[in-house]
Parts: sequence; structure tokens; C-alpha cells
Amino acid sequence: MKFTEKIAKIQAIPKDKKNLSLVAATKTKHIIVRIFYYLVLCSLSFVFLYPFIKMIVTSFMSDADLINIVVKWIPEGLRWENYEVAFEQLDYLRYLKNSLLVSGVATVGHLLSCSFVGYGFARYNFRLKGPLFALVILSMLVPIQTIIFPLYMQFANWGWTDSYLPLLVPTFFGYGLNGAFFIFLFRQFFSGLPKEMEEAARIDGCGPLRTFFRIMLPMSKSTILVGTVLSFVWHWNDYFEPSIYVRSVHKQLLPSKLPALYELVNTEEAMELVEEMGAFTINEAIIMAATVLVILPLLIVYAFLQKQFMEGVERSGLTGM
Amino acid sequence: MKTEKKRKKIMTMRRRRGLEALMFLSPWLIGTCVLFIYPIFSSVKLSFSEIVRLRGFVMEWVGLENYEYIFAYDINFMPTFLEVVKDTLINTPLTLVFSMVIAMLINRPVFGRGFFRSCFFLPVLLGSGYVMAQLLSIGATGSVGVGIEVPPLLQELLGSSIVSFVQAFLDRITVVLWKSGVQILLFLAGLQGISSSLYEAAKCDGATQWEMFWKITLPSIAPIVLLNFVYSLVTYFASSDNELVQYIIDEVFTETQFGRGAAMGWVYFAFVFLLCGFVFLMARVISSKSERE
Repeated sequence: MKFTEKIAKIQAIPKDKKNLSLVAATKTKHIIVRIFYYLVLCSLSFVFLYPFIKMIVTSFMSDADLINIVVKWIPEGLRWENYEVAFEQLDYLRYLKNSLLVSGVATVGHLLSCSFVGYGFARYNFRLKGPLFALVILSMLVPIQTIIFPLYMQFANWGWTDSYLPLLVPTFFGYGLNGAFFIFLFRQFFSGLPKEMEEAARIDGCGPLRTFFRIMLPMSKSTILVGTVLSFVWHWNDYFEPSIYVRSVHKQLLPSKLPALYELVNTEEAMELVEEMGAFTINEAIIMAATVLVILPLLIVYAFLQKQFMEGVERSGLTGM
Repeated sequence: MKTEKKRKKIMTMRRRRGLEALMFLSPWLIGTCVLFIYPIFSSVKLSFSEIVRLRGFVMEWVGLENYEYIFAYDINFMPTFLEVVKDTLINTPLTLVFSMVIAMLINRPVFGRGFFRSCFFLPVLLGSGYVMAQLLSIGATGSVGVGIEVPPLLQELLGSSIVSFVQAFLDRITVVLWKSGVQILLFLAGLQGISSSLYEAAKCDGATQWEMFWKITLPSIAPIVLLNFVYSLVTYFASSDNELVQYIIDEVFTETQFGRGAAMGWVYFAFVFLLCGFVFLMARVISSKSERE
């Protein structure tokens, strides 16, 4: 209907004017839409960037900058001392090592177990497949807080408390932090792959395990990458489970050091602590510097993997459910 | 004779496939029994009991006493619970709408696409930890917060009541956007999977962008809408900066009221479960309706 109306309109315009006016009209319309589009995009990304930029800017401020309300965005010079104090206060290298160990091993666990199980769900038909997969989804729904106490008692029985085992071992069995999500991710990916490859391998006498490790896993590089980034980041940021299981101070993970620092803000104790380092006290700037330090490894990893990660997300084939 | 032999062979084939499936699922099956089903059962049992002696985990059956306590005597549980429910019911649809819009915006060829994408991925990197709590000023010290403020000029123009309303709205949007990193990713993955020939065909038939969204985009990513809905619900309900979760944890690990804590956990989970069940049911009804059309 609309289309025929348009044609009628175009035909009504005298011939010499026709092309010019139409082209001009669509062009201005196009430009307005375009400007509006970028405006929306920029303002949305501003909401995301604002706290981040603010964090970085604040981390370089001196005491004078923090008090001065005129200084909002550009501090007078970069104060790297903030980072020195934060580095020292966090005992950075030691806890960085803890965090890297836990997040790294847990990520490997998730990738191994969840790709394995996801493949099983994607490629085999068996009785109870539906209910079992429903159980996977259910394990995603049950908040960990509901069952944390029995789990804690169980791990305590095995003598695992105050170690990283309660955080690491479940990841090798498709559980742990968001384990079900990764099973789901891999199942979706493997269901989307053609079956011919495996059938050919099978006819050539390749066993199921070898088929999986030699053919299917190498084909799922993009999904593995997505899984790696997400699992690593989630484990890095999680503080609930470590706060329950890991009690002794020297075993704590890096992000768990932050709250102790918050409590020191502008207290006398903090003044004494950092006096010899040339800082006035532990202030917001130092807190922000510490925060930047805590997420720095994630930013570095993401900077390297960003492009492949996005491609991996696009290829994960999540539409064909 | 011959057919019997054949059948036997097929049976063994099937059996072998079954064994292989069992092998692939075995890690998860072990995990499910030890790390999921067993804790669930003991947690349910715990919610009907009282711990008599902590050493050895000795329980005494008390029936519905814990549940009775929660609903009849605990003056903090229900208000906190309702507050969390209200927040979640507002935030989840907002999350879905915003993350879908953002995914659609960055799914087209744009100048600086990589930059925008990285922007929207930031919350996944920073999200869910102390860092995020700190950035959104819901951390330990309120003074360090960084949220977007209403500009002073507008504040004078609008009057304080409108400003506080707008401010509350902006705060909510900031929190919602900052919690929708994964949802944006999932939507983006879904949008990428839609074949562009569908849009071309629609364009040839003179469909508008608006029509294309409702007739092509939305039906194609419907499963992801469902997935995201459930994911958002669960993350909102289980996140540790959720007041009720904090309350339950305090009840268990600070007040050492294990039975009551477990009962609270189950009341809470029952609600989450019913809500998700309702969402799944709705999804099924809607999809069967659209199929009939």
C-alpha cells in the first residue's frame, strides 16, 4: 500500500524536479537518523565509561585535588605515589599470585569438564536426557547461598576448609561458579556443528575420546576463548565463596583485600601506616588506585583477547536453540 | 536367524552409544550427586531441624518451627524480601530492554565499532565484585561513589522533587546498565546468527524497520530473550550485594541459626523457582500461539 502511494507521488512530480527533490529529502532524513543514532550510542557508552574514567582520574589525584571542588576531571599532575602506597598496602604481588592461581586453575577445570559434558549432551541420545538437562538448568537457578552451609559442612568433613580446594575441585565436575552456564554454552556450540566429521572419524576407527580431543575440541576454539574469558573474569571478581571457605589472611584473594582498605579511609591508623611513605593518609585516590590495580590483570588480558573474544561470541551460534 | 543376529548387533551398538554418553556425562553426574543433590537434601532437612551439636552435625527434627519463625516472628525478613522482589521485578525488564537495544545498536556497521563494543563489555570485566560495588557507591564507604549526577543548572530549573526523582531513575539505569554486560553479549551473539537474506527479502517487499524488528528480529532471538530473562533474574537474586542474601548469610554464619537460615534460603528459592517456572510457561504459551498463527 505504502509503496504504491509512494510511486504515485513520484509520478505526480514534474519530471525535471523529480530526482532532485527525492534525493535531497532522503539524504537529509538519512543524515538526521544517523546523527540521532550516534547520539544514542555515545550517551549510552558514556554511562558505561563514566565510572571507569572517574576511577582512573581519581586514582591520580593528590589531597589538594580531592578537596578542591574545581578539580573534577583534570588533576594537577599525575600522582604515581598513590599507586605506590596502594601497591604496598595491598601486598600486591603476593595476593596477585593467589588470585592468578585460583582463577587460572578454575578456568581450566571449567573448560575441560564443561566442554566434555556439553559434548555428551549435544551428541548423544539417551533415556532421561531431557530431565538431566533440566537438572543442568536447575543447578543454574539454585542460588549458591541456599546450599552453601551443607556444602561447607561437607568440605569441612573432608578437611578442605581454609584451602582453595572447595573453589577449584567443583569446577572439574561441571559445578563451581556458573558451571551450568558453560555446559549450556558448549552444548549449544556442539549441537550447531555438522555430524559428518565425527561419523567419518568413527568409520576410520577413531574412538569417542580421541574424536572429542582431536577433532571436536580444536574446532571449538572460539567457544573455548569465550569460556576462558568469562570463567576467568567471574572467578577473579567473585568474593562470596572465597569469603566463606578461605579464612586465613595469607591465603586471601586480591579483591578480598579491598574492603579492609575501605575501612582505613581517613583514619588515624592509616595515617600512621602510610606516613613514612610520603602519603598524607589513605584517601579516595589511593582506594581508586588500589581498585585499578585489582582489575589491571583483567584489563590486560582483555586488551589482548578483545578481537578474538568478540568474534567468538558472534560465532557461538546461540540462535539455533 | 539372520534378523536376530542383526538385532543383537544393533542392540550392542545402542548400548555402546549409551556407555559412551555415560562416559561423557560422568564428571557432571558425580558432581551433581555430591555437590548438588546431596547438599540440597541436607539443606531441606536442615530447614526442618535445629542443630543440637555442631560437632558431628547432630540435628533434631523440629517440624515447621523455622518457617513459622520466619513468617510470624522475624520482623526483618518479609520487608527485605519484598524490597528485593520489587527491585528485581523492576530491574529485570529494564535490563532486557536496554541490553537488546544496545546489542542492536552495535550490531550494525558503525564507525568505531570496536571501541563501542569494548565499552559495553567493561561491566563484565569489572562487574559483580567489590570493584563494581565500589564504583556504584554501594560499597562500604558511601563517599567515594561515582554515579551520574543531574547537572546543577538543571537542578535549579526543575525543583528538588523532580530532580530527586530523575536522580533515582538515573541511578537505577546506571546500575541496570552496569549489570547487563553478559546479556548484551548473548543478544549480540543471537543477532549475529540471523541470516541477512531475511532482511533483504523483507526490504524488497517494502517492510519498514519497525515491522522488520517485530516480524524477523524478535522471533529469531526469542530463545535468547528467555535465556537472558532467566539469567538476569538469577543474577539479581543471587548476587551478594542483594540485601536478603546478606541477611540469610548473616543468619547462618554470624548468628549461627543454621536451621532458620536454611529455611529462609528455601522460601527465597521457592519464589525464584516459581517465577522462572512462570516465565517458561509464558514463553511456551506465546510460542505455541505464534505457531498457530
